[in-house]
Amino acid sequence: MKDFFVAYPPAPLAGALFALCVIAMYATVNGRLGVVGAISDVVERGRRFGWRGSFLLGLLGGAVLFTLVSGRERVGDGYGWLTREFSGVTTVVLLLVAGVLIGFGAKTAGGCTSGNGLTGTALGAKSSWVATTVFFGTAVGVSLLTKLLFGANV
Amino acid sequence: MLRAVSATIGVVFGFTLAWAGLAEPDVIRRAMLLDSPYLYEIFAVAVPVAFLGTRALLHFGVHALVTGERVSWERTPVQRRHVVGSAIFGTGWAISAACPGPIVAQLGAGILWSLATFAGLVIGIRLHLAREAAG
Repeated sequence: MKDFFVAYPPAPLAGALFALCVIAMYATVNGRLGVVGAISDVVERGRRFGWRGSFLLGLLGGAVLFTLVSGRERVGDGYGWLTREFSGVTTVVLLLVAGVLIGFGAKTAGGCTSGNGLTGTALGAKSSWVATTVFFGTAVGVSLLTKLLFGANV
Repeated sequence: MLRAVSATIGVVFGFTLAWAGLAEPDVIRRAMLLDSPYLYEIFAVAVPVAFLGTRALLHFGVHALVTGERVSWERTPVQRRHVVGSAIFGTGWAISAACPGPIVAQLGAGILWSLATFAGLVIGIRLHLAREAAG
């Protein structure tokens, strides 16, 4: 069992599972799957959160379950390119700033990678296709720029 | 029932995020640097499959099992906020190598660095809500 989950799943399997979640959300609650909307549901409503907040708790539980089932330890003590390039304190500050940009930007755009990038595009919404093209393009551009600035370490 | 069903879907979503390594910063970073096609391959399968599935629900006039509502959705026209907001989001995504789903999955996987990203995310959402409330 553990061995099965240690390796990454083939992309078609992971893609199909994500698609299944989008379809299941409509087939059961007629709702749009989106994580920033789910976090916002809890931020806005506190303990009286709705089905979106429940989805968020499930997501958290799913990650805990995977960690228990697989025993996978791939991340180590550091945090990717940030801790390879910067001190711990700087990394925390950068992650905090990045989080603010993610929360504010995704709310402004009406969705994040799941709400716009996965669900919205699947529904054929032009706004989601535009949003997805912009956030993927920006993320690739900024990442390549940081590699240019900080070198091969990142 | 509503909460139980959406939580169950969340479990599958979170489990898949973690299994596919999308909660690991280096996996996202490699995709952002165009060094790995894995993330793009996942999207290339997920979007068309979800498209077909949701279209089938719409075509056959399916009613949602829990709420009883007829499956439907609204599309918003393209607005400036979609471009501006996504550019801001994409910048944060590039720095942290994690978007909202993976940030929550990182918390579940015990990656404590993500506490900072999650705190920032909540601040960002609150800033947006305050800006909206101010009109």
